[in-house]
Amino acid sequence: MSQVFETAEAALESPSYTEALHELLFRLADDDFLLAYRGSEWLGLAPHIEEDVAFSSISQDTMGHAAMYYELLEELRAGRADDLAHLRPASERKNSCLVELANGTGTYLENPHYDWAFAVVRHFFYDLYKMELCKVLQKTSYTPLQQVARKVASEQVFHLMHWRVWFRPLMKVDGEAKTRMTAALQRFWSYSDELVSYGSQEVELVTHGLLPAQEEFKRSVLAVWESELTAVPQVSLEEVQKVTLDGRRGQHTEDLESALCTLRSVYETDPQTVW
Amino acid sequence: MSTEKDFYQVYEVFSKRTYKADLQYQFSLLAPNEEMAFAMAQENFMRREPVVDIWVVKRENVRKLQEDERDSLQRLDNKDYRTAKGYGYLKKKWREYEQGMLDEKEILSWGDDK
Repeated sequence: MSQVFETAEAALESPSYTEALHELLFRLADDDFLLAYRGSEWLGLAPHIEEDVAFSSISQDTMGHAAMYYELLEELRAGRADDLAHLRPASERKNSCLVELANGTGTYLENPHYDWAFAVVRHFFYDLYKMELCKVLQKTSYTPLQQVARKVASEQVFHLMHWRVWFRPLMKVDGEAKTRMTAALQRFWSYSDELVSYGSQEVELVTHGLLPAQEEFKRSVLAVWESELTAVPQVSLEEVQKVTLDGRRGQHTEDLESALCTLRSVYETDPQTVW
Repeated sequence: MSTEKDFYQVYEVFSKRTYKADLQYQFSLLAPNEEMAFAMAQENFMRREPVVDIWVVKRENVRKLQEDERDSLQRLDNKDYRTAKGYGYLKKKWREYEQGMLDEKEILSWGDDK
């Protein structure tokens, strides 16, 4: 049984623990931050106005989750939370490539041709993963992170409910929806290993009691995904080629750079300002 | 054929006092169909109260929150930005800026343009 750290001060006394904890928190924060950003880019573009407001609220909640993780990092002397969110270059980002992918072709301002099927699949399957993660984090060795995970999990209940309501009917109809949803699922599936991967820090994360064994966690996430997939007509995923990129190791797509460029453009005009 | 047991259904009744008023939930009643529910609502309950509109809806057609769905109502208390009070600090900020615009240094600097 590994040691439990109740406060930031206690954690900071162990440099190797702090390093592993930073690594984990950057993954959690960057994942939610980038996906919330991609979600916010749907503002005004969602299929109808009620969904527009609902989706935007969910993206704000997710941004709130990222903020809580960045604040934990600030307490652990990683830097100012706002700076960590806005100013770190792509090469230092620890998010999964899945969450950084653009919503479709075009940009928010010019010809946004976004893919709703991919939005539904990405958010639903990411949130299923995130809920499993929140469960294991409630037993992690850093007490303040347990508390944040408990809060995040409480909001995940209705996020999951929301995406399931979109996912199931779109999977059950034929025609264009079927084609688009199948393509979206296959695209998601090519990133699924990358999303759950512990990357190069597996040993440190596990020995410090921050996360359970990689294989054990992966099995539990797969089981949850599969149970959702068996509730709808089957889509063949065996042939899907997995990506070789690994966001946890700082490898990213071009989409991350363009997202960062946009999201920090206001912040970097004056990082000292109190907003 | 409907049995005696399911002949009467529960209907929920809503009404409006004026055209501009909010629709208000009033009560439930038993009726064999919606026309009868409508008539019963008017004759039994609305006779002492002026209303401009009445709605009846079969209770089983109402999608209610299930017990295991209550967890979906949880929200974190970190969303000041969604309420007007979240922006209460703006008044103070404006005062500071307005003050700043008219300080001595600013007034003296006006001459520099000429």
